[in-house]
Amino acid sequence: MSNNSEFASLEPPAPPASALPQTLVGLGVLLTGLALAWGAIGISSEAGYGGVGPNFLPWLVSVALTICGAWILWEARTGGFRELEAPSGDKAYWPGFVWVSAGLLLNAALITTLGFILSCTLCYLLAVQGLRRANGQAAANSPRTWIVDIVTGLVISAPVYWMFTKFLAINLPGLTNSGWL
Amino acid sequence: MDILNALLHGFALAITPANLVWCLVGCALGTAVGVLPGIGPAVAVAMLLPITAKVDVTASMIFFAGIYYGAMYGGSTTSILLNTPGETASMVTAMEGNKMAKSGRAGAALATAAIGSFVAGTIATVIVTLFAPYVADFAVKLGPPEYFLLMMLAFTTVSAVLGKSTLRGMTALFVGLAMGCVGLDQISGQGRYTGGVPELLDGIEIVLVAVGLFAVAEVLYAVLFEGRVVETENKLSRVHMTKRDWRRSVPAWLRGTAIGVPFGCIPAGGTEIPTFLSYASEKKLVKDPQDKAEFGTKGAIEGVAGPEAANNATVTAALIPLLTLGIPTSNTTAILLGAFQNYGIQPGPQLFTTSAALVWALIASLYIGNVMLLVLNLPMVGLWVKLLKIPKPQLYAGILIFATVGAYGMRQSAFDLFLLYGIGVLGVLMRRFDFPTAPVVVGMILGPLAEAQLRNAVSIGEGSAAVFVQRPMSIALIVIIVAVLVLPRLAKRMSQRKALQPA
Repeated sequence: MSNNSEFASLEPPAPPASALPQTLVGLGVLLTGLALAWGAIGISSEAGYGGVGPNFLPWLVSVALTICGAWILWEARTGGFRELEAPSGDKAYWPGFVWVSAGLLLNAALITTLGFILSCTLCYLLAVQGLRRANGQAAANSPRTWIVDIVTGLVISAPVYWMFTKFLAINLPGLTNSGWL
Repeated sequence: MDILNALLHGFALAITPANLVWCLVGCALGTAVGVLPGIGPAVAVAMLLPITAKVDVTASMIFFAGIYYGAMYGGSTTSILLNTPGETASMVTAMEGNKMAKSGRAGAALATAAIGSFVAGTIATVIVTLFAPYVADFAVKLGPPEYFLLMMLAFTTVSAVLGKSTLRGMTALFVGLAMGCVGLDQISGQGRYTGGVPELLDGIEIVLVAVGLFAVAEVLYAVLFEGRVVETENKLSRVHMTKRDWRRSVPAWLRGTAIGVPFGCIPAGGTEIPTFLSYASEKKLVKDPQDKAEFGTKGAIEGVAGPEAANNATVTAALIPLLTLGIPTSNTTAILLGAFQNYGIQPGPQLFTTSAALVWALIASLYIGNVMLLVLNLPMVGLWVKLLKIPKPQLYAGILIFATVGAYGMRQSAFDLFLLYGIGVLGVLMRRFDFPTAPVVVGMILGPLAEAQLRNAVSIGEGSAAVFVQRPMSIALIVIIVAVLVLPRLAKRMSQRKALQPA
């Protein structure tokens, strides 16, 4: 075993398939660190009695993240992340991601105009459709499934809305002022 | 007998009908959350944080504690019956539990898990009752330098010790600290990293981060990568333990509790280490060759009993650092701290004097909750198993509705929902590239507190950082932090060297 690995280390390691995404992650962390540093410039160092001003932690964080980013980048370029646990699941299914993202973002954009119940039903509908497709369900696109999903969405979001607004007095937006829709 | 008196007062408060209902609902909800894949206690508490605006503090704390506790019970059901653990804490239980279920002993595994959780939870609650007041008395003597170092210890353990890669753990911690920086600096009142967005002046809500990282990311991850993962479910058999099962379980429960409690008390975070230690020690201690052969083949009951007890003991004992020092050691306790903060209460040594009624009612509710959970999880286990039948697409899409309630209900801002999505995407990336998420949450909650303690400490030292090495307690803490960083690495190197030597 040990002989084998020593032998392998003599040859130049082949770049693993994951090198590019990992490099991007490293770059992302590095750039975040630099962006935070850029933001930290504008924070005053007025330390008062403390000797440590409000800009201390931002600087610490940005320097640390920059170093971490550079290190991650180095790991990505020299054989990949160390001690990486193989992620679970198969190849990425992007259409599903688009469906769920659309559901979440439309919900964020429409919740104040459509009200909680309708907006959440829409979010549920798009998300469940995406998840069904990811699952490979052939029936996902049939009118029947669409209707079932719309009804299920309503059946979950309406009671949730009533429970939180009526019993727990949490403000959630409604379509009307009646408090029921 | 002060403690007994205080505890009795706590019971008097916890046993009012309203509080009992909150406890029951919390326990039931917690069990459900533990059983359901894709949603854990941290998210469940986070999603329900908005209720802190209306519900009385004692009631909501009892409620949250029920969820926190119940999820531990429910998690074992999933890990025994399903091949994917419901929450990380039951990963170890799954190893033997699954094998037992496959060989037709699911009922015995479920029974030993539930009774073991009860035994360990109750013993650990007794320990919390007896020791927390003393720890609080002691903690009053700690000053800002010691607090700052205790928080550093929590940061170190959560990012550098847990998880495999220290580099990725540290990165996650600093991301969390950066999120904690956003908003008004609490000492000077200056805005930091708000980018001119007025919503960010108030800072990023912990609800958003927890719900985004755990719930939204989980759904996005599932649709991206796990759409076609097929799960198999084991058959449930009668929940019953034979005499022999009892004889093998009882010592394992007690050993598991003994391992779990100390791990909960220290700011070392996580249940992974104690549950695994308990599993390893059970495997080593078993004498009977027949029992020994069951490990890894038919499934040994000790391998379920020990880790489950260790898990619950750790989780319960984790309330000691939370209540007496205000230091959370896991995701869920970090969010519980957030719940206290919503009421303007800062957990810490003063909590036992300023909010004595609340603390003791909470502790009393733990005893009550444990009994409720035993009933909920033994005779009624068949009910929870039905939850596993909910198809994944509907379940995950439904989670998003609750995520919306939590994120929007906190401060009625649609901006938060966009932010929630962004944090969810971050969570997907973190999971895909094996970055731990606990450091983000702990860093974000403890970051601002640690910063304040640091600044107070340096002011005490009249502007000099030497204050950290001039006090005996703080020197001791520095030594511990260094040991936590160095010892595991040293041990690893030693064992590697040993492995390389020819036998």
